[in-house]
Amino acid sequence: MSGSKSCARLQGVLLQQLLDSVDSILFDCDGVIWRGDQVIPGAPQVINLLKQHGKRVFFLTNNSTKTRRMYADKMSTLGFDVTEQEVFGTAYGCAVFLQTACGLQGQKVFLMGSQAMRQELETVGIQQTGVGPDHVSGGPGDWANVPLDPEVKAVVVGFDQDFSYMKLNRALQYLIQKDCLFVGTNRDTRLPLEGGRAVPGTGCLLQAVETAAQRQAQTVGKPSPFMFDCLASQFGVERERCLMVGDRLDTDILLGSNCGLKTLLTLTGVSTLEDVAGHEESGCAERRRMVPDFYVESIADLLPALQG
Amino acid sequence: MAGAFSFKGCQKIRGPQIRSLLEAKDFFLFDCDGVIWHGENAITGAAKVVNALVRHGKNVVFVTNNSTRPRENYVHKFSRLGFADVMLEQIFSSSYCSALYLRDVVKICGQVFVIGCEGLRRELQEAGIPCLEETDDPDATIYDCALAADVKAVLVGHDDKLTFLKLAKASCYLKDPDCLFLATDNDPWHPLSSGRILPGCGSLMAALEVASGRKATVIGKPSRFMFECISSQFKGLEPAQCLMVGDRLETDMLFGFNCGLDTMLTLTGVSQMEDAQEYRNSDLSTNHSLVPDYVVDTIADFLPAFEELEEESN
Repeated sequence: MSGSKSCARLQGVLLQQLLDSVDSILFDCDGVIWRGDQVIPGAPQVINLLKQHGKRVFFLTNNSTKTRRMYADKMSTLGFDVTEQEVFGTAYGCAVFLQTACGLQGQKVFLMGSQAMRQELETVGIQQTGVGPDHVSGGPGDWANVPLDPEVKAVVVGFDQDFSYMKLNRALQYLIQKDCLFVGTNRDTRLPLEGGRAVPGTGCLLQAVETAAQRQAQTVGKPSPFMFDCLASQFGVERERCLMVGDRLDTDILLGSNCGLKTLLTLTGVSTLEDVAGHEESGCAERRRMVPDFYVESIADLLPALQG
Repeated sequence: MAGAFSFKGCQKIRGPQIRSLLEAKDFFLFDCDGVIWHGENAITGAAKVVNALVRHGKNVVFVTNNSTRPRENYVHKFSRLGFADVMLEQIFSSSYCSALYLRDVVKICGQVFVIGCEGLRRELQEAGIPCLEETDDPDATIYDCALAADVKAVLVGHDDKLTFLKLAKASCYLKDPDCLFLATDNDPWHPLSSGRILPGCGSLMAALEVASGRKATVIGKPSRFMFECISSQFKGLEPAQCLMVGDRLETDMLFGFNCGLDTMLTLTGVSQMEDAQEYRNSDLSTNHSLVPDYVVDTIADFLPAFEELEEESN
């Protein structure tokens, strides 16, 4: 579609029309339905009412610290009516990618990531080495000569609180081998917490490894279409009748644009209307793809069309 | 303006050409790793070359991005490896220059959060720069850690004890736009004498740039600052008098180019002739800045020129 893309506030008639035009709605999690452990007020009601109105609801998150099961449990605790199969996090997405696209079922990887990632890998029959703390000992000569597991076929990077120089070094030593694959969960620069605090995201760790190894990783998370493609093929989702709801222009909205979905920005997270205006006025085609179709202050703004 | 030698232009030079260079230049800047030594082993002939340069009245300084050791360590190392009388004042490391930057350029009033080795902290302390104490608070987590007030700069160097917590703290401090963001160097990896490599400061700096959304000011090569430190110490120094000798195109040669110095690549280290030729043949004109003016197999190739000079004076 040519011409300028204006991001409209979603309310009233426009809201009703949009809801009537979609069958499936994908929600990002951090900054959209919750912040850390605090639910966005009204979010559970929105999700539950959408389902009652016959819409299919899915969750698409770049956060690799939980398994699908852990997400479903967290959501239930917070009042969302959700099943495990409806959640697509990058721990799960990465395991599926390594299994299907990389053919590593029955093989082993070096994992710089969470226990959740380890569990999702085990579920698809992929073993790992490396998860957990890794403290430095010895000197530089020892580090360059760390024993490498000959069965390791890939270096996999996700959010890792135990990130250290030693882990970075191990990843580098594996990646020097040209036939070692290199996969990351996502490039988000920060992981948002409650109250607006944030910690460095997986993107930082991935950048460290990529710089040391002078190699680029393939990434699984938004804006890569991989997890959407998994979801779409598992559930038969029609792109033209699908809405992506997110708080980040460079992941959620860009994913939506790239996959031909309608896009809705909520302002309870990372991106602002100033960011939108910046992209809109940029004149750069790539940036224009980060301009959402609609925005709301919070997803609670959908309630008027769902209640009564 | 640097002398117009017809043999200039990414090619290996030998005896008579080296001799012309030796006669034309007064000031020789040497990188260390891969140029002067490999780990604990001096490059064969390197000590003779340096001693001969000094004997012939040339100035010699050593310019290294290695931030892990205080300069005193280098003085002892030179002595151990047979280099006569190399003094502290001839050694310019990225950690020493980071301290100078904070003390003399920034004139910092406040503390520095340091991600780096003991060697870096020593140089800062010797320059009187207050560094945040490295506390190992066992209760600190990434979600809830104490931040000091009055942190006016974050300095990233090589840190084998890097943790996620340090990254998180640094990115908190960097939220304040008045807090400076410095890096000793941006080398992505370092070679060891065994031929293996280790992650360099550049990889840690990249993580923090992504975390903070800010770009670091790089003190070490290829940034000009270390040459400014050298010029401040050696008054009246002109770029045209200098020859920069290094083994890494992306740091040493680019540094020389940025400072207006003639550059010489020695093939005893990281970069190879093919790498230099690739940059020379590149369509990207910025890559041409990495191409050396002269190439030698080893700095020991200077020795025949000295022998000739000495024969003539006898």
